[in-house]
Amino acid sequence: MSDGKDKDKDFDDRVLGQATGVDAPPPAPSADLLRAVEGMKPVRTRTRFGALAVVGLAGLVGPALALLRTPMRRDWPGLPIGWITAAVTIWGLAFAASLVAALVPRRGDVLPAPSRASRVALAAIGGVGLFALLATVDVPGMSMQPAERGWTPFEACLHCIGTIAKVAIVFLIVGQVALRRLVPVGGSRVGMALGAAAGAMGGLLLVFICPFASTSHVVLGHVTGVVLAALAGAILMRLTASYAVALALLVLIAVGCG
Amino acid sequence: MNASAAVLLDRARTSAAALPATTLVVRPGSVYQLGLGRMTIEPEAREAAEVMARYCRGDAAAFQRLYALLAARILAYLKGLLGDAAAAEDALQLTFLKVHEARSSYVIGANPIPWIYTIAHRTALDEIRKRKRSRVKLSQGRGKEGEVPAEPIAHITGVAADVGADPAAPAEPGPDAAAAAGALAALAKLPDNQRQALILTKVHGRSIADAAMITGSTPGAIKQRAHRAYVTLRQMLGSKKEVA
Repeated sequence: MSDGKDKDKDFDDRVLGQATGVDAPPPAPSADLLRAVEGMKPVRTRTRFGALAVVGLAGLVGPALALLRTPMRRDWPGLPIGWITAAVTIWGLAFAASLVAALVPRRGDVLPAPSRASRVALAAIGGVGLFALLATVDVPGMSMQPAERGWTPFEACLHCIGTIAKVAIVFLIVGQVALRRLVPVGGSRVGMALGAAAGAMGGLLLVFICPFASTSHVVLGHVTGVVLAALAGAILMRLTASYAVALALLVLIAVGCG
Repeated sequence: MNASAAVLLDRARTSAAALPATTLVVRPGSVYQLGLGRMTIEPEAREAAEVMARYCRGDAAAFQRLYALLAARILAYLKGLLGDAAAAEDALQLTFLKVHEARSSYVIGANPIPWIYTIAHRTALDEIRKRKRSRVKLSQGRGKEGEVPAEPIAHITGVAADVGADPAAPAEPGPDAAAAAGALAALAKLPDNQRQALILTKVHGRSIADAAMITGSTPGAIKQRAHRAYVTLRQMLGSKKEVA
């Protein structure tokens, strides 16, 4: 910085360094600390992609089984292949990007970045929301209406939200364990990304098996499910500080879903 | 890697471990000068990563080295957040104990400095929360009329605002002692989150991204808080100058 600019300032920046006393000598390590260090053994450290692999694999078992055991949606043969590709790509990207943002630290970092996680999660939710609003395909005569099953549209939405919750619960539980002690701050942002990823996986599963194809159903049932999963993730991760509370809540949700 | 290269690497590691503890260099460069430069490219980050890796492999000497590298600045940061030198020293020990317990969470090759700052930040927040709870309990115990004396206003260093009256307090070094005291008083008046942003970016030289990571905030928020804090500080110090 030029001298002229320095003169324009009301104070010299260096005064802050002097004022804060950063170079004061620290106390020696305490006896407790030294005792803990003396007895230490080598530890196996984390890898950048370890948590992603564990959470991803554990979470994908449920959707894969559901896909194998549940019949494909009735209008599947009538859906344009381009739409199927786009839907799978967008929901899949929302899942992958959110999960990576929640679990993988940037190169050179130890922790996942909370701000990046929340940004990616919001973008993912926005993306699937826009796709649902603008590009939902209804095959006349083939797509099912809730009334055909004796459900109201609201009940149909609740059913799909329940499906998303069942998929999300596994991601959230395993994710909580994988991120244990890893997100001392910004936990709610990371949890939001984890929840959004879990919700997006539920939404991706519904692309294949949900027989209701109206825009209102997809927005209110599927996208709302993603939003709720993200909210649940944010709240649960915020409670991670009191770990027992988080686990108790997860068990309650799991019992409720069951 | 062949045998000679391995021997050379071992020698380099041994000599690095034998180095005396470095003194902390304060980098008071402006937030705007520092920009978004990542710590990972800095030699201190490389050294910290190397020391942390040895520490995770069970090398107790590496812990001492890590402590020597980081304890001073972590202590200063904790003092800034807690406003109490004794509490900051306790929190420093607790921070390193947490680092020790969580060392398996470390990713080999990563810069451990922002991570350790994050743990320190959380430790300080826990301590502040604990204090608030105990203050509420005390006020409830005293009934309606019982008033708990407000915590002494502390400067960023943890030195109480009325430290001038304390004969045991160390004198500010250097010719700018008066300016430093003025800066301290002004810093103490800043809102917590603005002070955190300013301390991290301006005093401790963290990048905006690192500061966001440490506080669990966003880079935009950190920039804004640091900017507001800086503007307020300029106004406060400027007005003091005028009064003087």
